[in-house]
Amino acid sequence: MTQLNRLSTGGRINRSKPLRFTWRGQVYSGYEGDTLASALLANGVDVVARSFKYSRPRGIIAAGAEEPNGIVQIGATEATQVPNVRATQQGLYEGLVAEPTSGWPSLEYDLMGAVGKVAGSAMPPGFYYKTFMFPESMWMTYEKFIRRAAGLGRSPIAPDPDRYEKTHQHCDVLVVGAGPAGLMAALAAARGGARVIIADEQEEMGGSLLASRELLDGGPATDWVASVLAELNEHPEVLLLPKSTVNGYHDHNFLTIHERCTDHLADRAPDTQPRQRLHRVRAEWVILATGAHERPLVYGNNDVPGCMTCSAVSSYVQRYGVVPGNRLVVSTSNDGGYQAALDWHDAGRRVVAVIDARRQVASTMADALKDRGITLIEGSAVLNVAGSTRVQSVEVARIDADAHQVIGPVQTLVCDTVATSGGWSPAVHLSCHTGSRPTWRSDIIGFVPGATHEQRLDAGALVGEFSTEGALNSGLAAARQALQALSMSVPEVVVPTLAPVEIMPALALFHVPHTLPTSRAPKQFVDYQNDVTAAGIELSCREGFESIEHVKRYTALGFGTDQGKLGNINGMAITARARGMSIPEVGTTVFRPNYTPVSFGAIVGRDCGPLFDPKRYTAMHEWHVSKGAAFEDVGQWKRPWYFPKAGETMAQAVNRECVATRTSVGILDASTLGKIDIQGPDAREFLGRVYTNAWAKLAPGRCRYGLMCGEDGMVFDDGVTSCLADQHFLMTTTTGGAAGVLEWLEFYHQTEWPELQVYMTSVTDHWATMTISGPNSRKLLGELTDADLSAEAFPFMSWQPMTVAGVPARVFRISFTGELSFEINVPANYGLHVWEALFERGAPYDLTPYGTETMHVLRAEKGFIIAGQDTDGSVHPHDLGMGWAVSNQKPFSFIGKRGMVRADCVRPDRKQWVGIKTRDPSVVLPEGAQGVFDPNAPIPMPMVGHITSSYWSANLNRSIAQGFVKGGHARMGETVYYPLADGSVVEAEICSPVFLDPEGERQHV
Amino acid sequence: MSDNPASSKEQYKAPITDWTGVADGVTGRSPLAHVGFDELAQMTPSDAPVQLREYALKGHLTLRCNPEDAAQTAAFEAVTGLALPTAPLSSVASSDTTVRWIAPDEWLISVPASALFSLQQRLQDALTGHCALVDVSSGLTVFELSGERAVDVLKKCVPVDLHQRHFPAGKVVSTGFAKASCTLRRLNDETFELVVRRSFADYIWLWLQDASLEYGLRVEN
Repeated sequence: MTQLNRLSTGGRINRSKPLRFTWRGQVYSGYEGDTLASALLANGVDVVARSFKYSRPRGIIAAGAEEPNGIVQIGATEATQVPNVRATQQGLYEGLVAEPTSGWPSLEYDLMGAVGKVAGSAMPPGFYYKTFMFPESMWMTYEKFIRRAAGLGRSPIAPDPDRYEKTHQHCDVLVVGAGPAGLMAALAAARGGARVIIADEQEEMGGSLLASRELLDGGPATDWVASVLAELNEHPEVLLLPKSTVNGYHDHNFLTIHERCTDHLADRAPDTQPRQRLHRVRAEWVILATGAHERPLVYGNNDVPGCMTCSAVSSYVQRYGVVPGNRLVVSTSNDGGYQAALDWHDAGRRVVAVIDARRQVASTMADALKDRGITLIEGSAVLNVAGSTRVQSVEVARIDADAHQVIGPVQTLVCDTVATSGGWSPAVHLSCHTGSRPTWRSDIIGFVPGATHEQRLDAGALVGEFSTEGALNSGLAAARQALQALSMSVPEVVVPTLAPVEIMPALALFHVPHTLPTSRAPKQFVDYQNDVTAAGIELSCREGFESIEHVKRYTALGFGTDQGKLGNINGMAITARARGMSIPEVGTTVFRPNYTPVSFGAIVGRDCGPLFDPKRYTAMHEWHVSKGAAFEDVGQWKRPWYFPKAGETMAQAVNRECVATRTSVGILDASTLGKIDIQGPDAREFLGRVYTNAWAKLAPGRCRYGLMCGEDGMVFDDGVTSCLADQHFLMTTTTGGAAGVLEWLEFYHQTEWPELQVYMTSVTDHWATMTISGPNSRKLLGELTDADLSAEAFPFMSWQPMTVAGVPARVFRISFTGELSFEINVPANYGLHVWEALFERGAPYDLTPYGTETMHVLRAEKGFIIAGQDTDGSVHPHDLGMGWAVSNQKPFSFIGKRGMVRADCVRPDRKQWVGIKTRDPSVVLPEGAQGVFDPNAPIPMPMVGHITSSYWSANLNRSIAQGFVKGGHARMGETVYYPLADGSVVEAEICSPVFLDPEGERQHV
Repeated sequence: MSDNPASSKEQYKAPITDWTGVADGVTGRSPLAHVGFDELAQMTPSDAPVQLREYALKGHLTLRCNPEDAAQTAAFEAVTGLALPTAPLSSVASSDTTVRWIAPDEWLISVPASALFSLQQRLQDALTGHCALVDVSSGLTVFELSGERAVDVLKKCVPVDLHQRHFPAGKVVSTGFAKASCTLRRLNDETFELVVRRSFADYIWLWLQDASLEYGLRVEN
């Protein structure tokens, strides 16, 4: 294909570097430096999308982030699909593959096209609102339809092969936007010695100067841009971020910048290079120089391909050497629109006429027009366009001075392109993200940023400085102000000189009147992406949805990825007129992050795949892996779940491990248990306050089980705490609760009882803990230590320092299995050594490694709770039948004491924790099963409590379970029924939760 | 506070065990022993702009005491020859001892493993009043990250400002590291020390490796 709209000279493209790309399966060519949009226009591609509601053909309107129609899907392979890309922001590269996102299933013939008007009338304004009122089930259907039809593209099905990175940044001054104001601000701030980041969303920095014909200091504007960028590049404290959109402006000058590092290079990022990078920036000062978006006029059929903004026409001609048509009509309300006509004319193509809504126009631009002999029609506007896939002609008429009425005959001008300008809307979006509301300035006919509590300054077109000179000066002023606030020197910076320009004030024209009332006139689009028309907004106001926020929801004005960049002000103006109010009275909707869509990849960064979350390992992890352990996630820890032998199922492995432990000896890696070193003169008192039970008399060398409750009296953690010395204790916590418990202890110590002299230090990671459990555990340990392990010398619930396998150790005679147990603690650097030494001596005892599943079964056989499984934050010690662990005799109160005696906590029919024995011993109840007393009660059956723990016990050769039953402690022997999801009902007996060795004889040996 | 006679406020000396006193032939094992830094050191490019090494199996001691207790700070200085760094986020170091401020009443002291027991004993003997000394040697390992792109790598890891003006040599912060945490100290312009918890060491090693991919990493031993 030839690039029929490409000029032979001019523009910032590299004609020596042609690039091929594919659009809708067809190969086209463009040049290095093109955007996808400029390349499509160069090739004469008019239609890039179908509109979402009316399925109308749409072309490219703008040249930047405000483009509402050219939203495309990029990607040569399934894995590299990127939805939601603005063709105007996508740099062209060799082999780029793009597809339209709308137009389902094809641009020429699609389902919506076929139903056409039906779909349109099925979706009047208020469609969103009205569907919300339908039953929810219908919304699901609508949503699918809307999502697909709304031209939002699709997510890839295959994993994204590229890398996305996140990085933290800090700076003195963050300059947003690299047009004249931003560059000037960055230059001055850099010279003043500030640490500067300047970010700009376009493919190259320079903003409006890249398409400007003005001379700065007598030279081309682009020369000045190049010299400033060269100087900034030299500054070690300046970070230049082109192709980087500042998308979010959050509290305390925290901003996110989405940098497209290699999107412009190829379908896939080069090896090791990130495709995109999300910068998380903390800035002392922010200078917003985000510029302004040109407002198109609202007129009949203004969405026919060939209708563009004036500045877009200039950009395509000046920056890309593309004239997107042959015969141009300009319709404008201000001087800015003239530039398009001059550029078009000078590119050698025909300007049919410039239609200015103003009368008696006198300005530098009008003179330039006259010099070229271009027809100027004053006091008029384009009312309507003829054509469907391309503009064929326009209807022009005189309008009154208020721009409310057509007052003259309609004449037709033949053309293929209409460029309109209704003035400039400052890009206030970022300024609004932190809650600042924009304020209306009638002198510039636009909203400017409002007051802010952030350290933010605004410059350039954003504050209505639409002239290059004004922008440069305001950028410098902002930088000076920031430098002064930072107590930095304000450098000498000379603003380049420009030729004086005579400007005529703009006319406030938004919605061009038609000879017919709006409701009967041809469709006049306000928001292209959401197919919102002027008539729709008027209907919204008539139906009572008058607040601008209601208008937005009713019509979808400014929804979605568009965020009202082109249409919002026009929509507000139409609303204002419909309601007889001024624009500032109508106010704006709220702009939210993100300014433009950010890929999930950039948000996720490297927090994915193997790095999604930390995996915590114990010192013995490699051994577990080598023995084929199956792992279970407990918090972030990887704990062995069970150790299957070849061919074993999980159940077989667990049964084997359970029996081996009770008949000989098993070993558990318990290193993950939280461990807190507590010492100080008041350590004992402190324990008494945070645990429910008494600690005053625990002698050095002894261990005790403790329950920890919240203020509400509900159990939240438990564990064994040992007295190392009179003022020195080692607390253990649950694996998942470790960090929370330490925080809880510190919180109480620092805020409630700072007078207690106690220090707490986490030693979880320092110790490797291995528990050997079973009748042969004493013999096994005896082979590795000289210490006296006899029951007399080393009784149950005590600890002793000793050397195990040549390593100094603390050994605790505590048991979570009910068997004779030794918990061996050694510094983790020696954990694997001791573990392996135990196995070297363990063979004669069939030393069996077991994991968390067997641990759970063995403790359930003994009726020991697991905090977090058998408790859920609504269970106090008495509910658990653990009143023995609550001491009300302590002189000082303890956390939860008051809470657990509240009226509701002492009801006799509270759900209480009991054992559940199924009548059929082979049935294992599912955990979570809800119990009922009357299996024949009508639905909804009164539920009396649920199963919290349930296992097959190989040792008992039957199922065992525990759970809650209302008033269960007084119902021993009674029957409770568990109706299951499959319709069956399991009958069970309420019993003691202790199924094995209730006297504790096995552990007291 | 308690009326229990067992809980007196008399000078308390925690029992000390020489946890490094293992039998001959027993060697400690770093949490990153499985990585094989020695082999990696042979394999990684010599000209990479990021360098990483592990200082494994050091002695680490947590000290809790009162910085306003002149007797305690004097005792500390007498034993170590170093002034206790009481300014927030500061550190002091001699040839084989590093003392990092962790919190207003907490410091992390690192010494060669062989020097730990002696140091712990001498501090225990010298310090009077309420204080705590806890051996955390096996719970930590240490990375040294250096090179011209070290800062760029760290920017992907920690949210703190690493500019020389805000983070000069000697400064130490305990901060989030990706989804884990670390104690970070700047040794010089391009060199940083990271003290990380044993169980998170593998995650942090993987993260550092990943973050330096775009620049190139050399593992040193």
